[in-house]
Amino acid sequence: MKMRAELDQTPRSLLVSERSSFRDQKTRIRAQVEQLHFNYKVSVLLPECCSAPPHLDSIFNTFNSFYLIRNLPVYELLDKNFLETAVYQGSVYGVSYRTRIDEDNCVALTPKGHLTLSLDKDSFEILGVEGKPSRFNHRTKCRFVVSVDLTDSSMAPGGRGYQRLLTGLRSRLQLKTDFLLSHYPGGGASLQALLSRYDWSEHRPQISRHTLTDLSCPALLTSDLQSCDPHSFMEWVGAVDANVSCENSSSSFLSSLVCPEPRTTVSRALSVSVCGLLLPHDVHRLIQEIRCYLEQPHLESWVCLTVHGYADSPVSWGDNEHSVLKGGENFYSLLMFQDDTYHLHLATGAHDTCPP
Amino acid sequence: MSVFMDLNLSYTNDKSRMQSLIETAAHLGYSTVAINYTYELTIKKSKVPVPTPIKDLMEKLPIVQGRCRPIRVLNRLTVVMSEQCHFKKTGREFSAYDLLAVQPATEKLFHVACFTLDVDIICISVTEKRPFIIKRSPVNGAVERGIMFEVSYSAAIRDSTMRRYTIANAVSLVETCKGKNLILSSAAEKPLELRGPYDISNLGLLFGLSDGDAKEAVSSACRSVVLHGETRKTAGGIVHTMKCCSETPDQQEAPPADCEAPAAKRAKQLTE
Repeated sequence: MKMRAELDQTPRSLLVSERSSFRDQKTRIRAQVEQLHFNYKVSVLLPECCSAPPHLDSIFNTFNSFYLIRNLPVYELLDKNFLETAVYQGSVYGVSYRTRIDEDNCVALTPKGHLTLSLDKDSFEILGVEGKPSRFNHRTKCRFVVSVDLTDSSMAPGGRGYQRLLTGLRSRLQLKTDFLLSHYPGGGASLQALLSRYDWSEHRPQISRHTLTDLSCPALLTSDLQSCDPHSFMEWVGAVDANVSCENSSSSFLSSLVCPEPRTTVSRALSVSVCGLLLPHDVHRLIQEIRCYLEQPHLESWVCLTVHGYADSPVSWGDNEHSVLKGGENFYSLLMFQDDTYHLHLATGAHDTCPP
Repeated sequence: MSVFMDLNLSYTNDKSRMQSLIETAAHLGYSTVAINYTYELTIKKSKVPVPTPIKDLMEKLPIVQGRCRPIRVLNRLTVVMSEQCHFKKTGREFSAYDLLAVQPATEKLFHVACFTLDVDIICISVTEKRPFIIKRSPVNGAVERGIMFEVSYSAAIRDSTMRRYTIANAVSLVETCKGKNLILSSAAEKPLELRGPYDISNLGLLFGLSDGDAKEAVSSACRSVVLHGETRKTAGGIVHTMKCCSETPDQQEAPPADCEAPAAKRAKQLTE
């Protein structure tokens, strides 16, 4: 009986690693952070630290609020008033909530005014608007993507393209989802007209702090030394974030993850996580604040920041299509050093495009 | 991809067990399930079981975990064919079921099922050592007609010998059908025998399916089966007829003899 030899292989994943410096003129860090529009979780690992310094804490506490609208009919995103007050002025970040990208219809509104609808076959055929089959269809075409630029002249209110989409969403498909919404820089004020018509609630990002004791971590002296390979480093960061033991003791079969060699032990470390619909602008402020923090002398001269994107978002970096095969991970990990250098690791799952 | 489905939950008379089966399936993330009634064609004078209406089984269907819709429950009949016997293609009793499946026991019956029988699913036996060699020709014939092959996994959970048979039979089927037109389902009798859709997709890898095929076996392929079942009741998949319930008994009575209005033709009963 023959069995396939690929059983020991895990599903495909992509890891892009980059080393650069914040002072380097050609650094793309700002663009890379900006392009991951929908951030679900930001976690920071501060070694040899038991409580966050006040400046860093204030950044965590001043992350933008976001709004959850229950059962929003998607045609409301085409409302003329909403387009003029929110979409054309500043950046709107919106993604459907509690919809699975491989099962349901998902909606995303990116800051550049791109509305992306990821629809199953029946919904796409009912909607009757131009779209493309998903890049990740297997044998049958069962998922389609409708991508519309709301700032384009063809989609101006009253135009043919606009009318067709509006009619489709209003009378033919009548798509309704729970929706997470945020606006920069206007905040809730720009979205008030839309929010007031439906059942909405404002949410603050949830912050949680854990102090870890006797944490074994890779000996990251400076960014020049090739301390450990990216895969093992990412596994270790994930284990710390998920509170998984890296002891690999002989009596426990739960985890065989180990800290990569060479390793050192840190007596205490602080792990801070922020969850919610987080904007790239806030992530960027956090990175700048961590750089200031690292300028002061510390026992350990590095900080690790990990930003996770939404697993069920129709788009990941830029407007690239994203889907879920076994896991919908799209995240990046930024390891910052005292000398303003950094290691950036961008990772995606099987059904995703290469990160920038 | 489409929603996850488990098209084989064994029916038992125990109502509370059926309810907990459906609740567990909804909790695990299945959006559609089918309750399977088994019918042995060989037992004399055995009648085709009548499916219990879903409303009687569960008043309020549970919401699928992570979504906002309730789980959808279908009725399915599996006809176990073990001898040469007549399978009524258009039996009225079968029309009460959304899905129709057969489990052939011999190669000849498998051949008949693949080429002629009007069914949605052909079940591959997992509880015995390969009863017959599955040949490529009938499998291709069934694929052309849109019939799916089913492999159940709960037998593998119950017993280690069954585990060997399940894997062996599934691997030989996958080699023949090249991963197309295959669905994986539980045949669960108890809630503990159900597994989540991503776990079953991983089980598909053991059977020799690729990542994409394994995920399709729990989602898109099941959707095709359900649509195939719906089209069985239609004319060519286009025309759908539905019996309109009679509005009032008065309409069917003859007009009274002393009626003042002149005798008029009785209005035709409209069937839409």
